[in-house]
Amino acid sequence: MSIIFPGESAPANHVNLKLGPGLLQVSSIFNDASDGETPRKRPVIIATKAGELKHSVKGSQWWIESNSRRYVPVLHESVVGLITQRLGEAYRVDIGSAHHASLDGLAFEGATKRSKPNLKVGSLVYARVSLAHKDMEPELECFGAQTHKAEGFGELKGGFVVKCSLEMCRCLLNPKHFLLPMLGRRFPLDAAIGMNGRVWVSAKNVKEHIIVSRCIEAVDPDGGGMNEDELKKFLHTLGV
Amino acid sequence: MRPPSPSIVEKEFLYNSLKESLRIDGREPLEMREPTLSFGPELGWVECSLGKTKVIAQIEAKIVRPPPERPLEGIITIHSEISPTASSEYEFGRTSEEEVTITRMLDKVLRRSDAIDKESLCILANQRVWHLRLTLHFLADAGNMLDCACLAGIVALKHFRRPEVEVIGDEITIYPPSERAPFPLAIHHSPYCFTFAFFSDATIPPVLDPSQLEQRLSAGVTSIALNAQKEICVFQKFGGVPLLPKDLLAIIDIAVAKAQGLHQIVENRLKEDWSSRTVEFR
Amino acid sequence: MEVLNADGYRSDGRRQFELRSITIDLAQHGAADGTATIVHGLTKVFVSVLGPREAKLRSLTIHDRANVNVEVNVAAFSSGERRKRAKSDKRVLEMASAIKSTFETIIQTNLYPRSQIDIYIQIIEQDGGLLQACINGTTLALICAGIPLVDFACAVTCGVYANSPILDLTTLEENDIPNMTLAMLPKTGSVNLTAMESRLHVDRFGDLFEVALGAGRVIHEEMKLAILAKSRMLVAEMKTIGWGEKDLVD
Repeated sequence: MSIIFPGESAPANHVNLKLGPGLLQVSSIFNDASDGETPRKRPVIIATKAGELKHSVKGSQWWIESNSRRYVPVLHESVVGLITQRLGEAYRVDIGSAHHASLDGLAFEGATKRSKPNLKVGSLVYARVSLAHKDMEPELECFGAQTHKAEGFGELKGGFVVKCSLEMCRCLLNPKHFLLPMLGRRFPLDAAIGMNGRVWVSAKNVKEHIIVSRCIEAVDPDGGGMNEDELKKFLHTLGV
Repeated sequence: MRPPSPSIVEKEFLYNSLKESLRIDGREPLEMREPTLSFGPELGWVECSLGKTKVIAQIEAKIVRPPPERPLEGIITIHSEISPTASSEYEFGRTSEEEVTITRMLDKVLRRSDAIDKESLCILANQRVWHLRLTLHFLADAGNMLDCACLAGIVALKHFRRPEVEVIGDEITIYPPSERAPFPLAIHHSPYCFTFAFFSDATIPPVLDPSQLEQRLSAGVTSIALNAQKEICVFQKFGGVPLLPKDLLAIIDIAVAKAQGLHQIVENRLKEDWSSRTVEFR
Repeated sequence: MEVLNADGYRSDGRRQFELRSITIDLAQHGAADGTATIVHGLTKVFVSVLGPREAKLRSLTIHDRANVNVEVNVAAFSSGERRKRAKSDKRVLEMASAIKSTFETIIQTNLYPRSQIDIYIQIIEQDGGLLQACINGTTLALICAGIPLVDFACAVTCGVYANSPILDLTTLEENDIPNMTLAMLPKTGSVNLTAMESRLHVDRFGDLFEVALGAGRVIHEEMKLAILAKSRMLVAEMKTIGWGEKDLVD
C-alpha cells in the first residue's frame, strides 16, 4: 500500500495510460542532474489528493483511493436524492453536491405526458446521473440507460436513509464487503446505495433499521472504523 | 446555504421509532449522551462533547477598573458567536435564532443565576477588580449545542483558577502560579442545562438531549437549568406543543435526577484532572 | 424592599393575587390588518398584525405553511430612564423569538402556504410583565386581523415572595423576587410558554402553576369581553348603513 500526498509525483508509466480521480498530468521542468544535460520539459503525473495510490494489474489505469464527504457528480453513478422543489415539469433534487440536480418529470419508466409519477417535496428518489459537467447543473434519470426500464430506480418509500462517507458507499457496493451479507444473514433487508454518501435501507421493523444505521456508522472508516470481528461483537451487544 | 429540511422518509421513520421508544442512536428517550470533558494544559480550558456535538470553553482573567455603579463587583463577560465551523446552517456575521437562544441562556445560567460570587472578584474597591472573559467556540453541531455549551461554560469556571493577589495599602502584587498556588473561583452553585424535545404527536414521549434530526423534526424544545440542590435557575419553554402542567412538573422531576448524576460526573472529572496536575500548595 | 407587607398589601396597594387593571383598545390603526393596544397597569403595548401576505424574501417562504415574523421595538421613552435599545439587543431578539414560537403553534399556519404573517410590537410604557403584555396583545391583534387561531394565548407573570405566590408583577417586584411568565391556552388548560430566569426551588412550582393558570383564565375572560364589545360595535355600525340581522345570517 502506498500513500501519496498532493503534489507528489506518481510513478505511473504506461503506453496507454489512463488517469483516475486524484491524478493530474502536468508538464514540469524535470532536472536530470546526473547526466549533466540542460533541464528539459517533460510530463509528470502528480497527485492532487491525499490517499492510497492504486493501479490496475497491467498498470494502465491509475487512481487515488481517498475518503471525502462532499459528493461530486460523475456520469452514470447512482445517487439517493431528496426532492426540494417542483419546477413545472421537472424537480429540483438535492444530491449533496455543490449544485442541485434536476430530474425531468418524464424521466421515469413508462412515464408519459398524461401519466407520470407525482413526487412530493421531501420525497427520496434513487436515480442515475445522466449529465455531469462542471459548467452545467447535473441531471438525473430514473431508468436504466439502455433498457429504459426502472431497474430499481424511482421513488424510495418507507425505510430510512443513513448518511455516511463516500468511501463507505463504495465499500457497501463491493459485493465482497462483509457488512451487508453479515446483516442479511440475520434479517432480510433492502438497500439502495447512493454514491453520494446516502444509503437507503428498508427492513421489517424499526429495531432492524436502527441496527443497520448504527452498523453502517460503526463500520464507516470516517466514524467507528470497525472490522469484521469487532462488528460481530457489536451486533452481539445489540442483541442480534 | 441552509441544508434542506429532512425528507419525508426520515420524518416518518423518526416518529415511528420514537413511538416505540427507540432512538436512532440506540438511546432511551430520557437518556443523555455521555458527556466527554477534556482539559487543556491551561486552567480554565475545557473541551466538552456530547456525542459529535463539541464546544470549547476558555476563560481569561485580567485586572480592570470597575464601573462606578458597581465598585465592589468583578465583571464576567461571555462571548459566544456561532461560526459556520459548527454547521453550514450558521453564517458568519449574522446572528441566527440559535445563537440568540444560546447566548441568552448562557447569560441566564452562568451570570444571572449568581453562580459565581462576583464580590470575591474584587481586589481593591473602586480601583481594581477581576474581569473574567468566558469564550465559547462551537466546533460541531450534532444537536443540542445549548446543553453542551452550558456544561462547557460551568465546567470551565469550576476548572479555572486565578492567580493569587496580595494587597498592601494601595499596592497590588500578583503572584504567578509558579510562586503561589492559584486560587479557585468562589462558586455558589453549579447549574446544568437539560433540553427536552417534544413532538406534535401526543403519543410520542419527550426526548432528552435531542440529536440534530430530532431537534429539527421536533415541535419545540423546553430547557431547564438547575443545580444539584434542586433549585431551578432557568425554565424556558418557548412555544412548541402546549403541555399540561402535570407533564411539565414531570419533566422537572426528570431533570432534577439528571442534574444530580451530571454533577457527580463533573466533580469526578475535575478531581481526576486536578490530581494529575502538579501544582504546589502552600 | 418589602414586597408583601404584614397586612398583605403590595407596594402599589394590591393584594397578593390581585391583577392590575387591564384596558384593551381594538380600534383600527393605519393599514394594519389587525391592531390591539393592551394596558396592564403601567405597561402599555401596541401590536399590529399584517398578513397573511406574500413573503418578501424567497428564503423566508416555507412550502407548506406561513412564516410568522415578529419584530419587537422598545420605545426609548418607555422606561424610567431614557434609553435607546439597539435592534440587535439580544434580550429584545429573544423576546421576539419567544413570541414567534408561541404563536406558530396557535396560528393555523398550514392554511397559508408560502406566505408571511408579520407581527409588529411596539412597547410604549414598561412596568413589569412585558412578555405577558406582548403575548396578550398579539393574541388580540391576530383575532382582529381575522387570522384563524386554535385557541387564545393568555399570559401572566407570577413570582414567589416568602413562599407565597404573587401575581402580575411590577418592575420593582420583578427585580426583587424570582418570577416566571407563563402563557396558557384556556380551552385545554395547557401551557404554551414558560420563561423563568431566577433561582427557585423545585417544590414551589406546583403552587405557582396553579395560581398562574387561574389568573390566565381571568385574563381570557377580559380579552373575550373586549372582542365581544368590538364585534357588537361592528354589527351596530352595519345596521346603521342598512344591513339588517337577516343579511348577516345569509
